[in-house]
Amino acid sequence: MAQLFTPAATTLFRVVIVLVGAGIVAAGALAYVWARSDSTWNVGKPAPQPVPFRHDLHSGTLNIDCRYCHSTVERAADAGMPSAQTCMSCHSQVWVGASVLDPVRSSFTLGQPIEWTSVHRLPDHAYFNHAAHVSKGVACETCHGRVDQMPKTVKTQTLSMGWCLDCHRDPVPNLRPQEAVFTMGYDAHDKDLPNDIREFYRAASQRLTSCNTCHR
Amino acid sequence: MTSHAQARTSKIADIPLRRRFGAIWWIALGVSGALVLLLGYTLASVTIFGVGVWGVNIPFVWGFDLINYAWWIGIANGASLFAAILVLRRHDLRTAVNRFAEGIALFAVICAGIFPIFHLGRPWLFYWTFPYPATFQVWPQFRSTLTWDFWAISTHVVVTSLLWYVGLIPDLATLRDRARKESVQRIYGVLALGWRGSVRHWAYHQRAYRLVAILVLPLILIMQSTVAFEFAVTLVPDWHETRQPLHFVATGLAQGLSIVLLVAVLLRWGLKLGHYIDEGDIDLLGKLVLASALVSGYLYLDEFVSALLSDGLAQEATFNRMTGDYAGLYWTAIVYSVLIPQLLWFKSARQSTIAGVFVGVSIGVGIWFDRFSIIVGGLQTDYLPSIQRTYSPNLAETGLFLGTIGLFSAFILLFARFLPAISMFETRHDEHEEKTS
Repeated sequence: MAQLFTPAATTLFRVVIVLVGAGIVAAGALAYVWARSDSTWNVGKPAPQPVPFRHDLHSGTLNIDCRYCHSTVERAADAGMPSAQTCMSCHSQVWVGASVLDPVRSSFTLGQPIEWTSVHRLPDHAYFNHAAHVSKGVACETCHGRVDQMPKTVKTQTLSMGWCLDCHRDPVPNLRPQEAVFTMGYDAHDKDLPNDIREFYRAASQRLTSCNTCHR
Repeated sequence: MTSHAQARTSKIADIPLRRRFGAIWWIALGVSGALVLLLGYTLASVTIFGVGVWGVNIPFVWGFDLINYAWWIGIANGASLFAAILVLRRHDLRTAVNRFAEGIALFAVICAGIFPIFHLGRPWLFYWTFPYPATFQVWPQFRSTLTWDFWAISTHVVVTSLLWYVGLIPDLATLRDRARKESVQRIYGVLALGWRGSVRHWAYHQRAYRLVAILVLPLILIMQSTVAFEFAVTLVPDWHETRQPLHFVATGLAQGLSIVLLVAVLLRWGLKLGHYIDEGDIDLLGKLVLASALVSGYLYLDEFVSALLSDGLAQEATFNRMTGDYAGLYWTAIVYSVLIPQLLWFKSARQSTIAGVFVGVSIGVGIWFDRFSIIVGGLQTDYLPSIQRTYSPNLAETGLFLGTIGLFSAFILLFARFLPAISMFETRHDEHEEKTS
């Protein structure tokens, strides 16, 4: 009977075992890096929108307050999207003939909401409340970044659960005095917070990291 | 190895190397294949539409999924515990039954693993039960029975497949040497991992095989207890009992042995292995099954006495299982897993193929009803009267169960077709010892 395998086969087999082992480790490392990369979380990636709305123009140049459009942010879980009436309060006077605003005008006429594409979409089982955060001193900028400089709205943070927990475990460095919550370009530091508030949040991290704070 | 022994074991080796395998094998594989398709269909439906397609609802969040999981893992535990003890004791019976007892354990644990994964609701996220550096920065809840399932099943798969494969290596080399086509020789050659049968190889092999076998012993007890603890740690009155692990380990052993007996008589009949699994082996196996059935009977008695000793709702819950809506399940379990196996007191029954199949299936069915009785019947009496309702499985769950039976029998059929069903090297070893003594 002829030889089935050459003497090199054993070496080859061992090399394959080592390579498979190394491949598994490499795949694990790759998955680790991939799961944390910005592109996986669509950070910095604009979504296609029906109207080329520019935050840099409205919020930055014109200095319109966030709450003018996102009117329920202080009172409800949802920050709220502006109705076409809100848009038309200005756009019935300015850019009257612009074709890019056609969806806004037809929305106004038909009473149908504009179908914006959500950029900051949270998973189904995560409960997030804008009002709770805003009223406790978490600023818009902390999660949404420098919206006043964005020609197209993008995510600047991953919004992963780990990212949420980074703050929930130690909220104090990210809290601002109430008057600075809607400010853009604020230098966050906890020295402006009264001592008793700092103490309160250091003690509250247990409650803030309990499962049913966000999954209810 | 003597030429005589080689001639005798060559018959075992020739079975997987045969070109044709007969119509019965194809028909059996066809039926199993159809059931595997059913399994695929029911798994796809639960993946796409969610666990709402099942008949489970509060308080019966554990229906067929956990019944069948506990049942399959019981078979796996019983069969591998049995195989490991035979290896360690170097008992004569190991030559006849070890190979497929290890196989049964492996196939059953694969069937068992399907249920916990798919009852998650989002089965594609099953790896969340594994402690890895996740972006959500939270470790799995180690007090959760789900994480226990993960460790029990994954350890089980690793250890059982090691036990099975290590035992196969010398026989794969025999198949390599006896195969006629070069492509077949190469496949078995790679699987044999370069086995040359040197004294060093044999020494290492013996050490490895016994090492894995000794690993199985504590692991099986721990893993089967883990399954039992999933019930015992809850506050459900009927489950919250320290006797639960003992009940699961002992009835699991009966179940594993009965399936080993069933496959033994079927292989003996189907592959004409009467010479290798001889009458003495079948007789001994029958006696073991009978003994394990008696232990099951003792445990049912213990369940009853424990209920008498306990007070309040725990007692009421156990008695409700025996007399309530689900009393049929409890009594069926006793008849099938304790009373029918008493047939094996008769030597003629132990020697008969039909009686072997009958008792083997009967204990399997009986323990299945026992798990059903514990998981569903036991839940009926709880601290809240408002949740006293009933559960019955729907078609999606029944299809899933039948599907895993098809998967298991397909594995057994393919195993009988492509691998030596009897351990050839152990048979040669025993025959050699007989000759020299």
